[in-house]
Amino acid sequence: MIENFLAGSAALFGDPFTIGIFVFGVVGGMLFGAIPGVSMLTLAAILLPFTAGLEPAQGVMLFAVIYCTGTYGGAITAILFNIPGSAENAPTAFDGYPMTQKGQSGKAVGAAVLCSAIGGIASALVMMAATEPLANWAIRNIGPPEIFALVFFGLVVASSVGARTIWKGWMSVLIGLLIATIGQDPVGGINRYNFGMTDLAAGIAFIPAILGFFAVSEIFVQAEKKASGKYQAPKVSMTFPSFIELWMHKIAVLRSILVGFFCGILPGIGATLAAFMSYGEAVRWSKNREEFGKGKLEGVISAETANNAATGAAMIPLLALGLPGGALTAMMVAVFQMHDLQPGPLVFMLSPDLIWIVFAAMFYANLSILIIGVLETKTILNLLKIPFQFLAPLILMLATTGAYIGRGLVLDVMVMFLAGIIGYLLRRSGFSIPAIVLGLILGKIGEQNFAQGMQMVHYDLGTYFSRPICAILIAAGVITLASNMYRAFTSTKTSA
Amino acid sequence: MGRLTLSNLIEAAIFFLIVGIFYAFSFEFNQPIEIYIFGATAWPRVVIFLLLLATLGNLWFHYRHGNATQATLGQTDDKADFSEAGTVRRMVAVLLTPFVFAYLLKPVGIYFSAPFFIAAIIWLFGERRWKAILIMTLFIYCVFIGLFLMILNAPLPQGNVSPFYDFSAWVLKLNAKLQGI
Repeated sequence: MIENFLAGSAALFGDPFTIGIFVFGVVGGMLFGAIPGVSMLTLAAILLPFTAGLEPAQGVMLFAVIYCTGTYGGAITAILFNIPGSAENAPTAFDGYPMTQKGQSGKAVGAAVLCSAIGGIASALVMMAATEPLANWAIRNIGPPEIFALVFFGLVVASSVGARTIWKGWMSVLIGLLIATIGQDPVGGINRYNFGMTDLAAGIAFIPAILGFFAVSEIFVQAEKKASGKYQAPKVSMTFPSFIELWMHKIAVLRSILVGFFCGILPGIGATLAAFMSYGEAVRWSKNREEFGKGKLEGVISAETANNAATGAAMIPLLALGLPGGALTAMMVAVFQMHDLQPGPLVFMLSPDLIWIVFAAMFYANLSILIIGVLETKTILNLLKIPFQFLAPLILMLATTGAYIGRGLVLDVMVMFLAGIIGYLLRRSGFSIPAIVLGLILGKIGEQNFAQGMQMVHYDLGTYFSRPICAILIAAGVITLASNMYRAFTSTKTSA
Repeated sequence: MGRLTLSNLIEAAIFFLIVGIFYAFSFEFNQPIEIYIFGATAWPRVVIFLLLLATLGNLWFHYRHGNATQATLGQTDDKADFSEAGTVRRMVAVLLTPFVFAYLLKPVGIYFSAPFFIAAIIWLFGERRWKAILIMTLFIYCVFIGLFLMILNAPLPQGNVSPFYDFSAWVLKLNAKLQGI
């Protein structure tokens, strides 16, 4: 493994043009992740046609690097403005933004930098050591029933996050699931809820919906605070977390790496659910649960470690089995295909050089987060000094463009602003936007895998739940649901 | 009425309406799928049923406890304040302006409408110094044009009504000339 890694490193750094592409990917991923309104997916979509002119290893490596650094970049806006760069950074905002409001933005961003790097590096190392055996294990043990069970567990966890009551948490998840039913059904391709609009046949696009629910609704919340005179400019702080503070969270980091890696390895699940589940586990194991959501460093650490740990793991099904785990890995399949290659077991035999350049690049990209991230943080924190009346139109313009260029439809811009208004009204009524978005993202995956699973076991629920991993995940989900249900009927915190 | 408030009732009514509409429309695609016995309606109807249960539970909770909160994770404590009419008027304007902008994208195009939208948002966010509005509008417009048109060459809506379409064509020509394309 070490010899292969060194050979991959030599190939990566032996050619100035390849180094240039690597640096472009690192900086581009971080910037597009950090700019509110656009994301690493926007950058990847724009770059996709240009990869035809690159060597296959350079093209795949560029996307892998963007994936690593873009996942980290989204944490910055989540922490500074409560606007996650993408869905996988949503749980980072739960504690990151309250830390900014308390004048601890430097500490939160510093922890995100360090933990993203640790999660990503750990994941890259495991990926290098065990891609083939892990892929073989996954192909034998993970099927549609297990993926459905994990989606179920993830949605149950998400329903207890971010809403004012547990009832509203459940309603939030269900709203997301209901929105996800718009468009063709994943089994028979029958049009559902398109209300006579042909553009809706493909469903609600994720990017405009996510931009609307997160970025636009946050702009509206800040507008309301400005209008009612309650707006307070966030406090800028350059204090990074101390080594002792981070060392105290070593268990949380380890747990998040495991959760992130497990979620990342499953096709279609990826970093978003990893971040939510890791945050949920951090709360579950904490002695001071009530401090979460009010600016607890462990919340940022758990979410950011897990989402970056998922990036390396997501490469395992892609490279070893040819199964993309999300939108960006799906674009990587397109890069392979542009060069007449097919990701899967044959790539390891036919193009080992390509594989090891990608592995090495992902390792160094995560290392770069640590180095460039620390330097970049001090610059980016100055964004907080810009008055919000000037930042808001910039974010709205970027969001408008980001929503439009995906499919070239004005309808998507309308959907984004509608999601913004709905998101604003729901937030002010105590609903959870991250839970809605997770429901929206996982809805189709859950339905598709449930249907495939039922077909696999010939509609016999006994067989369905006798699969050990599926049974464990369903049992964990049911226990969490029962515990939430008990609290829903018994607990109240404050009375108005 | 227990401790229910008018806003609790409106919220519940909206959710009942959503449940009703989605259930009614589910009959439009209620057809069997040969390879899947549950068909295309099963999943949406389960979601609708669960949403109905959760809405009833939420209504019951408000009936018993008013606007109390529960110890969930990551919730924020700040609540909307619409006690003043001025706040409501400004919020309505803030919520409607992006829609007007989005509606105008097709006929007018983004290149012409963007500066007006940017200036309107800055004004709605409370900036009243016209020089600051003008300078920042120009700056944001330049950043937007620089990033999406000059660097990324992203295809953006150009409008389909003259003279707005002509203006967009002029901007694109200028960009092509500057880049020597």
